[in-house]
Amino acid sequence: MISKPRILFLNPVRHAHPVYKNLSSVTQPELLSSKSRAELFQDFKGKYNNITAIYSTSSSYALAGKFDKELIQHLPPSLKFICHNGAGYDNIDIEACTARGIKVTNAPDPVTDATADLAIFLLLGALRQLNPAIFSLRNGNFKTGIDFGHDPQGKTLGVLGMGRIGRAVKRRAEPFGMKTIYHNRNKLNEDDAAGAEYVSFGRLLGESDIISVHVPLNSRTKHLIGEQEIQKMKDGVVIVNTARGAVIDEAAMTAALEAGKIAAVGLDVYEREPEINQILAKNSRALLIPHLGTHTTETLAKMETLAMENARRGCLGESLLTVVAEQLEKAGALTNEH
Amino acid sequence: MTKPLVLLLGEIEHAHEEWASISEIADIIEPKARSREEFIKECKSGAFDNVVATYRTFQSVAITGLIDEELIALLPRSLKFIAHNGAGYDQIDVHACTAHGIRVSNVPTAVDDATADTNMFLILGALRGFNTSMIALRNGHWKGSPPPPLGHDPQGKVLGILGMGGIGRNLKKKAEAFGMTVQYYNRSKLSEELSGGAKYVGFDELLKTSDVLSLNLPLNKQTRHIISTKEFEQMKKGVVIVNTARGAVMDEAALVVALEKGQVWSCGLDVFEEEPKVHAGLIANPHVMLVPHMGTWTVETQTKMETWCIDNIRSAIEKGKLMSPVGEQKDI
Repeated sequence: MISKPRILFLNPVRHAHPVYKNLSSVTQPELLSSKSRAELFQDFKGKYNNITAIYSTSSSYALAGKFDKELIQHLPPSLKFICHNGAGYDNIDIEACTARGIKVTNAPDPVTDATADLAIFLLLGALRQLNPAIFSLRNGNFKTGIDFGHDPQGKTLGVLGMGRIGRAVKRRAEPFGMKTIYHNRNKLNEDDAAGAEYVSFGRLLGESDIISVHVPLNSRTKHLIGEQEIQKMKDGVVIVNTARGAVIDEAAMTAALEAGKIAAVGLDVYEREPEINQILAKNSRALLIPHLGTHTTETLAKMETLAMENARRGCLGESLLTVVAEQLEKAGALTNEH
Repeated sequence: MTKPLVLLLGEIEHAHEEWASISEIADIIEPKARSREEFIKECKSGAFDNVVATYRTFQSVAITGLIDEELIALLPRSLKFIAHNGAGYDQIDVHACTAHGIRVSNVPTAVDDATADTNMFLILGALRGFNTSMIALRNGHWKGSPPPPLGHDPQGKVLGILGMGGIGRNLKKKAEAFGMTVQYYNRSKLSEELSGGAKYVGFDELLKTSDVLSLNLPLNKQTRHIISTKEFEQMKKGVVIVNTARGAVMDEAALVVALEKGQVWSCGLDVFEEEPKVHAGLIANPHVMLVPHMGTWTVETQTKMETWCIDNIRSAIEKGKLMSPVGEQKDI
């Protein structure tokens, strides 16, 4: 009798329990017991030496460390799939995985709405200067000395990275009367752009009243926004980041915020989470959320479900739903279902 | 020929040029009083005799107190017009004004976008439960310990709008961009065109079937504490409530109890029953989002509002009537 393919869950499923239950009927899912990266390496040779797939989340790196060349090299030969339940996979060395014949899937769609919702919350909060007001109230001063904010109507929103999330942000920006311009590696077709104007990076920097960051983090986008880029921006610009902290030079952004060049920021991500630049953390014109972009019962359930579905398909020899872009571009790679 | 006299109650903060143009058609005086007692004295001294119109701000209540029968009776006989800079005019007893031959105007429409924007910010903030972790982060605890409660997505949730006026209708358009389904209760059902296809429901059904309840109605005798203990009991368990209207449409103490019981999961408030005082039970709750009446606090909207109010003064002086009389006086 052929035993069911094994899936190693680096973190437990907390929401999509019925899906996990179904998974157990056709595969053998189990929760990680290794207590450290070193122990995990040993266990890949021992009790996990015949696993077919790994289910990972953004919390997996705390114990396992980054999925770098070293970790990938220690994976058992049987391991064919890493199914990540997040959209961002900057902590996984895709090249190393491809070299080993391991397919990596992420979860792009489920995160779209929740992340775009948060981006607009941060945009409104920053533009309207609501953070100083919120803390003033809780400090017993109500509205005393509180400065005016600005309305979004008639303002230009610059979307940096017009993927799913960028486009979802534009759709939400519309009823608030904002005009959207975007910069992307490639210009989008008319349908996807839905009326947004494609501009160069320089024009985006110079013409936006609000800039919202929606690019993945990789070697090309690290510190994409630094001191020089900030200097090109309008005085009083508002910056929103729900992508990855390191796309923006946090120290440079903080200095510009302190100086008033940047009127306010709305951030969900930071260069060295959970550490935050101390000066930034004390500036009241910074609306700061501790990486809660997808922290809802509904979205987490969807993310878990998609990762488990990819794992199920991989184990049963069916086509994967959401292989990461870098692996799709390679000749001969599986194409995504949709 | 002497110019008519205009009394300025409160400050002009943005529309300075427009206000300066009023000096071409009127003489402007301001009270020396810094309290209601002093203001009453100043009225009685005849300092405001011959004043024809007054421009008043929401904040000027700190000097005059409410514009009630007591105060109105002491205003000069010459006063015919009160131009109020705000959409909500509950600080003014319109009935008493009418009885004394005084016309009142407010500032509708200009407030719609900014108020609905604040409203949407609070819906997201309360539904997603951001406040707890915003505070934890500022205290150096990142997400906080224990970790913040999971929030909820707006997609597929039912937003119940209580009061489908200009602000409510504006809010509907924004909420729909987040995938919310909108239903409303209003004194009267709106046309399809005006309601934009939102479902009209009875008050009880609004309470029973909304996941998020937004208060967008004016404060008056009929609406004071329209949301209180009985109403919380009818709502869905775990409902989220947002108020950008007037604090007193909701019983603040009853809200605190409902939050403690878990009947209300979270709330987003821009207004409070006794501003600037906020119920201690709300301050002690990190899970609610509280904003100090910032609904229209932007350079652009404040400028528009001041300009509108100044235009009412100009209309009163040049045409003998206000541009935007309040609803209760429209037919006079």
